[in-house]
Amino acid sequence: MEGELVEADIVVAARLSFKKIQSYEKYPKGQTRGRWKHLKQILQAENFPDYPPDLPNYSNIESPPSTQPCKRICDITGYEAPYVDPRTNLRYANTHVFKTVRSLSADQVHQYLSIRNAAVVLK
Amino acid sequence: MAFVSKIRRQTDYNTFPSSVPIVIDNGASYFRIGWAGETEPRVVFRNIVQRPRHKATGETVTIVGDLDPAMMKYFDCTRSGPRSPFDSNVVYQFEIMEYILDFAFDRLGADGSGIDHPILITESACNPVQSRSKMAELLFETYGVPAVAFGVDAAFSYKYNQLHGICKKDGIVLCPGFTTTHAIPFVDGEPIYTGSCRTNIGGYHITDYLKQLLSLKYPFHSSRFTWEKAEDLKLEHCYIAPNYASEVRLFQEGTKEAEEKTRYWQLPWIPPPTEVPPSEEEVARKAAYREKQGQRLRDMAEAKRLTKINESENHLQSLRFLLKQLDQVEEDDIPSFLSDTGYASRQELESTFSKVIQSLRKARGEPKNEPDESEENTDSFNNEKYPLLNVPDDMLTPEQLKEKKKQLFLKTTTEGRQRARQKRNEEELQKERKHQLEEERRRENPEFYLEEMRVQYKEVLERVEQKKRLKTNGNSTNGNHKSGNVGRGERLSAAQRERMRLLTTAAFDRGKGEDTFGAKDEDWHLYKLMSKDHDDDDEQLDSDEAELARLSSRLQEIDPTFVQKLEEDSSQISGEVPRVRPLTEEDYKIVIGIERFRCPEILFHPNLVGIDQVGLDEMAGVSIRRLPHDEKELEERLTSSILMTGGCSLVPGMKERLECGIRMIRPCGSPIHVVQAMDPVLDAWRGASAFAADLNFLGNAFSKMDYYEKGEDWLRRYQIRYNTL
Repeated sequence: MEGELVEADIVVAARLSFKKIQSYEKYPKGQTRGRWKHLKQILQAENFPDYPPDLPNYSNIESPPSTQPCKRICDITGYEAPYVDPRTNLRYANTHVFKTVRSLSADQVHQYLSIRNAAVVLK
Repeated sequence: MAFVSKIRRQTDYNTFPSSVPIVIDNGASYFRIGWAGETEPRVVFRNIVQRPRHKATGETVTIVGDLDPAMMKYFDCTRSGPRSPFDSNVVYQFEIMEYILDFAFDRLGADGSGIDHPILITESACNPVQSRSKMAELLFETYGVPAVAFGVDAAFSYKYNQLHGICKKDGIVLCPGFTTTHAIPFVDGEPIYTGSCRTNIGGYHITDYLKQLLSLKYPFHSSRFTWEKAEDLKLEHCYIAPNYASEVRLFQEGTKEAEEKTRYWQLPWIPPPTEVPPSEEEVARKAAYREKQGQRLRDMAEAKRLTKINESENHLQSLRFLLKQLDQVEEDDIPSFLSDTGYASRQELESTFSKVIQSLRKARGEPKNEPDESEENTDSFNNEKYPLLNVPDDMLTPEQLKEKKKQLFLKTTTEGRQRARQKRNEEELQKERKHQLEEERRRENPEFYLEEMRVQYKEVLERVEQKKRLKTNGNSTNGNHKSGNVGRGERLSAAQRERMRLLTTAAFDRGKGEDTFGAKDEDWHLYKLMSKDHDDDDEQLDSDEAELARLSSRLQEIDPTFVQKLEEDSSQISGEVPRVRPLTEEDYKIVIGIERFRCPEILFHPNLVGIDQVGLDEMAGVSIRRLPHDEKELEERLTSSILMTGGCSLVPGMKERLECGIRMIRPCGSPIHVVQAMDPVLDAWRGASAFAADLNFLGNAFSKMDYYEKGEDWLRRYQIRYNTL
């Protein structure tokens, strides 16, 4: 390894004396992918419905939806948006923004919609 | 700044006795590790791992935390980006976690066999037991840790601030973190998780929102907006508007205040080199040089011509001499005489002679007077050249017959060529005449002529476009389908529909009575209609296009205001920087106006980014509602001690907005007091450090033996008591 790298000391040593099992023994090369459950799978495996509902757990402490009226802002400018374009479903504030909305490509529209998780993805 | 990495290797690890716990704040964005009882963590770094390939040796190495860009050149990062052990706020990738712990303990100076210190590590509120047990297992099995305790970062932060008199024993902690925001109520100094709530939004979402908004606003520069850059911009410029609606109105109306609040980021821009008109001297010099080159070429051509003339003359001389000699030779001796010279017969010699004369004439630049000649005395010339043509066949030998055929062929081809030439000349003349006529008309009445031209142009253009539309799909005018692909749901054009109809009727007509197909000539016409590319009007289209090109070039010549109509697609307007105009400094200026407060606004209105949960201010209300209690007084105690901690509470304007928001959801007149933690970023670690320094700490921790004996259900309910602080 280059001298500069050794000096910077940024690479974690492969063998560390304080470990009982070294990483290279635990995770041999080429078998590392897809072994970890994602949060969704972890939560499913926890079987939360089996426990009393008054016992706090990861999913029941989640916040409820808001009771306040949903704020609608223009997808492009951030102004308050009284209108929705029926073709693209984008919210817009005024005629000037509407012109921009209509000039957007389908891809851009999709990106704007997916920012607020409103994009329709056909599978 | 709050977010600074410290990764210098510590040297005093061995001076700590094994009873001193190690304290880890394992946050989704930053990892902090240090010794219990100290006020500052020893090592701090971003909680990410990169495993690039080392270019020189080709082996995969592990780099934890931010990679110094200066070191980037030694590594090949194409196959792996930075990875985090977290999914939302829960650790799930324990391989990555292990690399991080390796690095952390290594930097803390560990070098013995095993980590012989109890460990206090933070986790999210109500961490799933699977994640908790995996973490405990990792610490026990891999590092040989004697005891482990888990605590919640927000709670430690609250306790630390309570210790310093910032907040009271009853209160609420609001902790907008990196990926999630928590609200946890405290009663008598203990967190009550039944009353807690979590919204899945945090600093990560703000940065991501900013990044996406900017790259959509400036598609031309989208590669500039890396996650790190967006994070920097967020830390530097974002603030929370006291009232989003009124703040945005300022910008909408373009007030001076808004202008002052707008920030600019000038991207490096190099002006294109301005073209200095060359000086007169230079122009003269260039012209002289060109002239010189031209002269040289002319000289060369002249020399070549002279040598050619010379050569031809010599050749001619020798041929003339040969002919003269041939005259003297007897008829019978000709073949033997000619065999030396390479010519087969007298005719061949003569034809060569005439060819040389012609080329000589051409080289000398004399006019080629052949055409006139041929026109004037065609008959005599023909007789001379094709002597056998006028002789009847029966008077000729077979060989002569052959010769006659050849001559006939030659004669017809020459005549054909002449006719073609004549026709061409005529056409050119006609064109010239037409052009002259037009020119005359133009001179007579330029205005009218121009108008006429324009009308003509428009007509032809329309015709061409109509054809194109019919040919492509008929809906290219629609504007909606710029891609022009014929998708599955697209309608076919009239021509295509007709073709489909023909095909289907032809397929189903079979077997209906007598098959008389082909009896009439018109039947076969069907195939022509059916064939995929039956474009009868192709020629017409071509001619139209040619006419269009002619008209537009003519109009360009005479009409300065004429602009050729371009394809529809190019008229598209968008935020993209148009290519035609040279880029200016303005195009490289990133304006950050509304984004400054639009992005942090998602903490209060998560539905702006499609997360349908309550915002930060409402969370306090939800938390109080969830808390099982029946005294109004407790509610008041809670709202009079609301602590903000976590990285996102550093955004300016947070306190005022939060106070205002909570006041709206609480009954009128209730006491509301919001305070910011002393250090929203580091207080969690400091609280944990103070907690671990207490003598009762080991009572809250559990050993490997406990872990294996007491089972999962115990671990699920495991909870430390914070009141020892």
